[in-house]
Amino acid sequence: MRQIKKIKVVIAGPFAAGKTQFINTVSEIKTVKTEKRIQHSGERQVKDYTTVAMDFGKIRIDAEHELYLFGTPGQFRFDFMWEILGEGALGVIVLVDSTDPTTFHEARKIINFFQSRFPVSIVVCANKQDLPNAWSPEDIRIALDIDEEEGIPVIPVSAIDKESVKNALLTLFEIIKANLTG
Amino acid sequence: MALTGDLRNFNFVDIFQVIGRDRKSGILFVEWKDLTCAYYVKDGEIVFARPVDKVYRVYTDKDFDLLLSKLRMNEESLPKTIERFLISRLNMKEGIFSFIPGFIKYGREYPVVYPIEQLIVLASRNLAPEEVERKISDEMLLFERVPGKEEVLQKAKLNQMEERILSLIDGEKTVLQIRQMVNQDSLLVDRALYAFLALGLIRRKKKEVKQKQASITLELLAKIIERIRSL
Repeated sequence: MRQIKKIKVVIAGPFAAGKTQFINTVSEIKTVKTEKRIQHSGERQVKDYTTVAMDFGKIRIDAEHELYLFGTPGQFRFDFMWEILGEGALGVIVLVDSTDPTTFHEARKIINFFQSRFPVSIVVCANKQDLPNAWSPEDIRIALDIDEEEGIPVIPVSAIDKESVKNALLTLFEIIKANLTG
Repeated sequence: MALTGDLRNFNFVDIFQVIGRDRKSGILFVEWKDLTCAYYVKDGEIVFARPVDKVYRVYTDKDFDLLLSKLRMNEESLPKTIERFLISRLNMKEGIFSFIPGFIKYGREYPVVYPIEQLIVLASRNLAPEEVERKISDEMLLFERVPGKEEVLQKAKLNQMEERILSLIDGEKTVLQIRQMVNQDSLLVDRALYAFLALGLIRRKKKEVKQKQASITLELLAKIIERIRSL
């Protein structure tokens, strides 16, 4: 039996940024979730369940390759999982809830984490752009102190929209391609 | 698009950074516990501040010059409103803000006694330890100066200690080393670094590690891109 080669992309971001939804939207399999009912009362006001280990989605590329999407837990208390999931990844997508500036600083810390440990291509997705009070990607770029020299694009995304999620993945792979050829 | 949030998590330095960086115009509202204030922003500068009893009333005055004459305000008194309703409140952490871009019509130039760069520095001097930790999160962080920022520096009006901290940033010294060299409360150093970042005077120094060459062929990449497109 021919062994399938795995290509790995990490979907990271603060709590409730929309990582599980992002994977759900494009995965060809039912997303494998490791969710647990939230105990923290503050977090429970946002949603009932949260990822505690990882989410996992998959896209078949050809007979020999599969693209694996690994969603990390959002809370810093699970950052040991980020380290595990980041190993061997081709790139990282960091999702930010554009409607919740309380999480912007956390998003920056997550970018710092991956930048320092896994020097791979990163794309920041300003998620929930379909909501009325969403900050613009440009304002989020400023709030996250993303310097132009960092080479990290901040793009508008709505994780419930397949075309939008596809565009985010394509942006990441185009950057990887540019790095490979440049 | 509106910018809204809570001052506890997104402080005045952060707000001024976003407003100032791309020179926005509009009105910034802050709902404090005791008062709601409207801050009139023109091209990234706060030109006027006033308390409002009902936010919707602000929307009835779309012409800034007419509003000033209605309130019997002259140009000289504009900076005083900023002192009274903004600068004196930079230490207050509880409030909800929202910035509504556009909307108000500004007819001319207005005096800017407190440039946004100076307001960033003034606001940074009130940051609490848990606030500075959001950006100055690691004492091993390295920062470097961004060239060509003389005008920003001039407007920021740094004090002597802040100038000294800035002079120590060279892309080589860590936050810890700068703290030790300044030999003051580390919170003062961190507040200054936070302000410098917001002003765009400094940036995180990129680590010298070369971005890892992706272990993938161009052919396979092309396949992945084609496959995602066809989803």
